[in-house]
Amino acid sequence: MLLRTELTLLLRARMAMFALILVALLSIAAVAAGMAEVARQRDVIARIAPQQERDLAAIASWVDQGKDPGNAAYYSFHATWDAPEPLAFASLGLRDVAPYILRVRALGLEAQLYDGEAFNPELALPGRFDFAFVLVYLAPLFVIALFHDLVSGEREAGRLRMLDALPGRARRLWVRRVALRGGLLYAALALPLLAGALLSGVPVGQCLAVLGLTGAYLLFWIGLTLLVGRLRWSSVANAATLAGLWLVLTLILPTVAHVAINQAIPVGQGVELSMAQREAVNRAWDIPREETMTRFYAGHPEWRNSPPLPPAFHWKWYFAFHQVGDESVAPRAAAYRNGIEARDRAAQALGWVLPSVGVQAALARLADTDMQAQLAYQDRIRAYHQTLRQFYYRYLFTDTPFGKEDFARTPRFPSS
Amino acid sequence: MSLTANGQRIVVNDVHLSYGSHAVLRGLTLHVAAGEIYALLGGNGAGKSSTMSALLGFVRPDAGTVEVAGYNPATQADQARAQIAYVPENVALYDHLTARENAAYLLALAGRRPEPQAIDAAFEATGLQEAAWDKRLGGFSKGMRQKVAIAIALLREVPVLLLDEPSSGLDPKATADFNRLVHDVARRGAAVLMVTHDLLSAADIADRIGFLEAGRIVDEAAAQGADRFDVRDLHRKFTAGSVAA
Repeated sequence: MLLRTELTLLLRARMAMFALILVALLSIAAVAAGMAEVARQRDVIARIAPQQERDLAAIASWVDQGKDPGNAAYYSFHATWDAPEPLAFASLGLRDVAPYILRVRALGLEAQLYDGEAFNPELALPGRFDFAFVLVYLAPLFVIALFHDLVSGEREAGRLRMLDALPGRARRLWVRRVALRGGLLYAALALPLLAGALLSGVPVGQCLAVLGLTGAYLLFWIGLTLLVGRLRWSSVANAATLAGLWLVLTLILPTVAHVAINQAIPVGQGVELSMAQREAVNRAWDIPREETMTRFYAGHPEWRNSPPLPPAFHWKWYFAFHQVGDESVAPRAAAYRNGIEARDRAAQALGWVLPSVGVQAALARLADTDMQAQLAYQDRIRAYHQTLRQFYYRYLFTDTPFGKEDFARTPRFPSS
Repeated sequence: MSLTANGQRIVVNDVHLSYGSHAVLRGLTLHVAAGEIYALLGGNGAGKSSTMSALLGFVRPDAGTVEVAGYNPATQADQARAQIAYVPENVALYDHLTARENAAYLLALAGRRPEPQAIDAAFEATGLQEAAWDKRLGGFSKGMRQKVAIAIALLREVPVLLLDEPSSGLDPKATADFNRLVHDVARRGAAVLMVTHDLLSAADIADRIGFLEAGRIVDEAAAQGADRFDVRDLHRKFTAGSVAA
């Protein structure tokens, strides 16, 4: 009966009703938007294979006339992709700013890897409207709206003294109210998420983890709101203080920490790495070809017995200087990678102090949309690119003709 | 429920209470027996609210003893509060709930679940019009709210009723209705302590009146005969105390 009356009280208060409906609508919209984006990305990825086959078929017809493996290697693009995990709809993470499709050739890889780095930079700051955004940034505002006057509202209405004068069991009133408000808020947030998870086929373990994370984050904000409430300030003062805390904990401190991490761990731009690799590659045109081949054979002795270069242009020299170009920037590429990983570790460590950062990072990790996932995709591209190179080198360095049927043997990017 | 010595339901003996260096009760002593209505009359700052707080267990006296139906509110707050129905100065109930819902809810909070018919009977006893029983309190006058509050107090069936400035803001008709209700509660055996600065209302309702000044009872008057109190004499005592305070 008490719970029913508490529910009646809450639902008859327009502000609370409005807040709960709004948070449910935002959660539904965020889940729907996330699912639409994931469906779009899956659709784009699904369209790659047939287009890739058409593209290769066209090149194969042309290459088959001259049987030159260099032409095959140079003109053939090979698709790689990073398919979204089922939970990606809840936290799009880096998938909106980092490429999830990359077509590579057997040429220098570093320049190709960072071609898409500046993709959609306007989305980098606010991020996509997804469940993670609603939970991390908006949900605390609804917690504040529903809980800031839990006790102070009763005091201001003149009821607190009367409630305090009731026997002990009346004290359970606050527990009941916190549980009811928190439960409804949680349901408004989590039910759309659960529906999205079921429709997306999210594994049960992941689903429970996200629901647990959602509950824990709400509990943190509810706890903070109740702590402020214990100061016995007015409802307005509580709301203003909590709004300030929200600003500091979700926007200011994460931004300041982000800047501090970037300052403490300087990492160049990927495009600088591309430029350095291209400069190294272009330098090959200005130096004797033998110099390039000597460096290449030193690193890849398995091709040392390849016939000497003819006086005219030969593709194996061209591919060799691309490989040498990649290798010349390898230390910088490793430093770039290490820097990004160090920043990522620092950001994760920050998550233990700042719940907003921690929850965002944890959601992105669960959804496989974080920096680690992005780097793992890069690793898969590197591995595939290496396979491609080896495949073409077998023709290039042995002057083996490359016919139509050889295209069918071209390595395909493994679906993860 | 238990009675203290001599059937007293409220016993306050030589209570001292300070907030920091500011002493608010300085040797307050008062006793209220079952079925008795005691009006504690005092000006602003005389210690009326602090007396209520001590009886409700909100504050712990520095010295002296307080007992409500045999329980010490400072150390046995739950037991003491279970014996008290408290009606604050501004009866603030839940505007979003109907009179019936308010009664059922607040009684449930206090651990009582009366039958709906009992709630109706209590409303009837307070004179709350039936048409108002299922209306939300948002549109209720102060008098109507007090009737709901008194109905709740009746339904709690506790031995002690504490009234904080009950006639404040009531028109004469509503005050008279309210006083009749309080009399009904006292007739059922409850000890009623009301703190007020409304001398006429106190004279109309109380069996005894205590004049509270600077944290202690400086004078006391008991109702006698048909006229009960000499209002002029009460007024003299009250204004003398108030001016002095």
